[in-house]
Amino acid sequence: MQSFDIIVVGAGHAGVEASLAAARLGVRTLIITTNLDRIAYMSCNPSIGGLAKGHMVREIDILGGQMGRAADASCIQFKRLNSSRGPAVRGSRAQCDKHVYSAFQTQALQTQANLTILGAEVKRLILEKNVCEGVVLQNGVEIRAKAVIITTGTFMNGVMHFGLKQIAGGRIGDKASIGLSDQLAQFGFEVKRLKTGTPARLHKDSIDWTKTIPQFGDEKFYPFSFKSERKFQLKQIACYLSNTTEQTHEIIRNNLDKSPMFCGIIEGVGPRYCPSIEDKITRFAEKKTHQTFLEPEGLNSELIYLQGISTSLPEDIQDQFLKTIPGLENVKVVRYGYAVEYDYIEPTQILHRLETRPISQLFLAGQINGTSGYEEAAAQGFIAGVNAAHKILERDEFILGRDQAYAGVLVDDLVTKGTREPYRMFTSRAEHRLVLREDNTIDRLSDISDKLGIASKEELSLLNEIKVSRSRLKTTLASQSIYPKPEVNEQIKALGSSALLKPATLEEFLRRPEVDFIFLSKLGFIFEDAEVVTESVEIEVKYAGYIKKQNEIIEKSKHAEGVLIPADLDYKAVKGLSNEEIDKLTRIKPRTLGQAQRISGVNPSALQALMVYLKAYTLKIKGEKVGSTPQFRTTNSLAT
Amino acid sequence: MRNRSEQTICAISTPPGTGGISVIRLSGPEALMIAQKIAPSLQQKQIQTHTAYFAKIKDFKNEVIDEAVLTYFAFGKSFTGEEVVEISCHGSEYVAEKIINILIDAGAVLAEKGEFTFRAFMNNRMDLVQAESVLSLIQSQNEASARVAVRQLQGDISKKYEVLESDLTWCLAHIEASIDFSTEGIDVVDPKILLQKLSDIKGDLEKLVASYRSGRLIKEGIKAVLLGEPNVGKSSLLNLLSEDDKAIVTSVAGTTRDVISAPVVFDGLKYTLSDTAGLRETTDLVEKIGVDRSQKEAGRADVVLYVLDLTETDWVTAAEQIRAIKTPYLILLNKADLLDGAGSNIARKKLQNLIPSLAELDIILTSNLDPQTRIRVLNAVKQKIGAMNVMETALLTSARQYEMSTYALEMLEISIGELNKSMGAEFTAMYLKESLLALQRILGHVFDDQIMDRVFKEFCLGK
Repeated sequence: MQSFDIIVVGAGHAGVEASLAAARLGVRTLIITTNLDRIAYMSCNPSIGGLAKGHMVREIDILGGQMGRAADASCIQFKRLNSSRGPAVRGSRAQCDKHVYSAFQTQALQTQANLTILGAEVKRLILEKNVCEGVVLQNGVEIRAKAVIITTGTFMNGVMHFGLKQIAGGRIGDKASIGLSDQLAQFGFEVKRLKTGTPARLHKDSIDWTKTIPQFGDEKFYPFSFKSERKFQLKQIACYLSNTTEQTHEIIRNNLDKSPMFCGIIEGVGPRYCPSIEDKITRFAEKKTHQTFLEPEGLNSELIYLQGISTSLPEDIQDQFLKTIPGLENVKVVRYGYAVEYDYIEPTQILHRLETRPISQLFLAGQINGTSGYEEAAAQGFIAGVNAAHKILERDEFILGRDQAYAGVLVDDLVTKGTREPYRMFTSRAEHRLVLREDNTIDRLSDISDKLGIASKEELSLLNEIKVSRSRLKTTLASQSIYPKPEVNEQIKALGSSALLKPATLEEFLRRPEVDFIFLSKLGFIFEDAEVVTESVEIEVKYAGYIKKQNEIIEKSKHAEGVLIPADLDYKAVKGLSNEEIDKLTRIKPRTLGQAQRISGVNPSALQALMVYLKAYTLKIKGEKVGSTPQFRTTNSLAT
Repeated sequence: MRNRSEQTICAISTPPGTGGISVIRLSGPEALMIAQKIAPSLQQKQIQTHTAYFAKIKDFKNEVIDEAVLTYFAFGKSFTGEEVVEISCHGSEYVAEKIINILIDAGAVLAEKGEFTFRAFMNNRMDLVQAESVLSLIQSQNEASARVAVRQLQGDISKKYEVLESDLTWCLAHIEASIDFSTEGIDVVDPKILLQKLSDIKGDLEKLVASYRSGRLIKEGIKAVLLGEPNVGKSSLLNLLSEDDKAIVTSVAGTTRDVISAPVVFDGLKYTLSDTAGLRETTDLVEKIGVDRSQKEAGRADVVLYVLDLTETDWVTAAEQIRAIKTPYLILLNKADLLDGAGSNIARKKLQNLIPSLAELDIILTSNLDPQTRIRVLNAVKQKIGAMNVMETALLTSARQYEMSTYALEMLEISIGELNKSMGAEFTAMYLKESLLALQRILGHVFDDQIMDRVFKEFCLGK
């Protein structure tokens, strides 16, 4: 019988990161997929990044993840979103050639040491009591492992809906995985249904492009990976804008009875932020038109992705309404849109390290935890891969704080609050938004990356060099001064800023909204540093006041984050908790008082009661006097 | 041991001591069962909610302890939200305590301080503001403060905060949507409308914050200080106004050396009146300390009552002192009985010449011999601080509510400033969120995913 250290089930965006992270940490890893041609496949939109999502791609890149490199290598249009807004809410998005992307990741798996790829279907898990010890394949072969990571995406009991017609499967052309979620449900897991949808793919030669408006990307490239060069690797192309018309809406309205969403066939909950066109037209009846972007799926692909128009209406109706969209009068549909319903595991049943509570050595990552999006999947995959490997290597668990990374916010939200709809990351989910920026990812995470040891020595020293240059530049700015000479003030006034009355440090001067490094160089203050250094320094200087305020706000609530709650705490013994609160706390077992605070339905009064109890508890445990803060052992330095 | 919330609690709810009746309150899942154990005649009856039953209270030796009236409130229909029985027994401390002992034998536990209110809060029968008002209702010592507390208990203040909370959430949702969905072609609100809405919220919040002063005056009482030169009759006035003779009255100038205070209840409001040492240059060390104290006391007052002797003619020094007063003040022209109407009018004119800003209503004629003086002065005080109107509106009375509201207001003001500066929506959002959080803390609401819910409800999104 074969055996590995870790088995990863599924080779989507979560599975790829999980298997690479584990293998790169030196444990023998097996990745199993039902379809070797669809590794890291973009099943829906052909793009990576976006607000908050782009942040996560950069975060795992610093830590030794893979997604950023693939996105850079396959990018065919790049945009920095919100570039005119404040620095914390700028995000990168790349349209990708999905075939190049998939090929890049497949090659990464193939060339990775310690990693084996297997094309097979997993039938069930090998469980010894509540410990997962491997998997059984469809053909009955057993493979043993010390940890199993499930990343099956939308495939668990997946059902596709084309109008009222249903086909089992998690993606067009691929079978559903049957059995796994039933086994988990039998074991006592809470398994629920979610729904997602995808629009039609159109043949590019059947579109009248003259009726659409081309949309070009940025000329400047900010690669996701710090290892990538700052120049495009593929030809950059345009996307095209069109819109639905009143006729489109009328056809859809007249055929709502053929939509599985509207006649109650689909029970799963869909994402509110990504509604189907049926949904949009019904909920926002007053809107006469909705925009849609026509996005090429690759440089050599004939397929066009119709962004914003996901639908589960029958094929003939799709044909009818698509033709009412300007440019699509004679459109040829290559693949029709459809909805997918699938099983997910209510994520409050897993721990921050993404191991399940009921079954040890079993890790879950990606859509199986109720998320949506490639980036959310990749971040979880990475974290699960590291933690599974750490468990085998007997290292500390790897948990990112909410103040360290969006990936930390993601996991904490999932395991604390659970989710009823596909969970997508937004910047507004992060209370530390001003410090969780794309530009300072290196400052936030390079020390952690160093400790983690996935990134190579050369990569780590590159990160360190950037960090050192940034702090050197900051010191220089604080020590050098600019003087109110007439010729200087003339230039300042020409810029539209007010004249200097007395000498100022460059740091103070740079705080002015109009002033940037380019202007400083005009005044003769020339810094040789690359943009990767100057950009983040300029932001930190300009927004220092706001960042300080946010830190103060957070500091006030930080106390609760430092109060650890023992895992075996009997909430029934805590005076003043309602039955509902006892239930929720017992189930979720928050790690800290701060996490308990974020559980919905746990009242402030209950937290007060918990705090009081914890104080008494510590006194009892330690048998000695402690200060006003209950003190528990922190599991590792990465935990906050 | 059972979870505390599963236990039935009991306590004597009337103040200790002997009265006509005592009321014992029983709350929890077994309230009725326990009541039926100690009042066996109720066991056979069909017990209805909000109904009083007469019964004999018996101990376990079947001995009759008292005859009492038991009122039953069903689960979900009581103050605490739990099953409640109120036992009205005869007002002897012995009887009430005996009944408590039997209740404990029958399975109840003694309630902790504030536990009934705590349970009401836990069972969502009231929010934090209402819970606080229960406490101030119990503590209220005059009609006005009781009225304010009742109004809070009914949720008047909570309703105001809830409206503000909801409006602020709307604004924040629009700002967040403009950030997170900037690429999705949604119709984000016009900044002008957003600004208008935020300033409306700011106005309402300012009113609430301002009401704290009135609310506090009603709850804690109005502090009025008698000030003036020596021997103008301040101490006599104190005795008259307080209907007491706390202050020593002599014809010797400088008799009063220390501050003397007396409580007064008048027309439903509570006052604290203080007499002070007369203000004058003095070499007497003790008197000097007294004068310093007078000035300090005046600084802490809500209203200063500056007393002038009508029969004196030189008011120049006094006028200087009056102009230096920073607190709202009234002028009491004392010893009015010694002058006729025409004489007082001349004096009045003279005073207004010395202090041109002085309003007609702020000058009051007083006399120790005139029984109307007390009513005239106290009414004028009430007018002066505007306590009349505020009794009709909802007020902030708790320091916690005031502090949090002030903070919410401060954060809101900054966020409006940020919006005007157009530095970046995330900065506006940061301050706005902090403001919203403060409002939610006032109400004891948990800040959850309300903003996202609002976003999804209002905007047509979707890639």
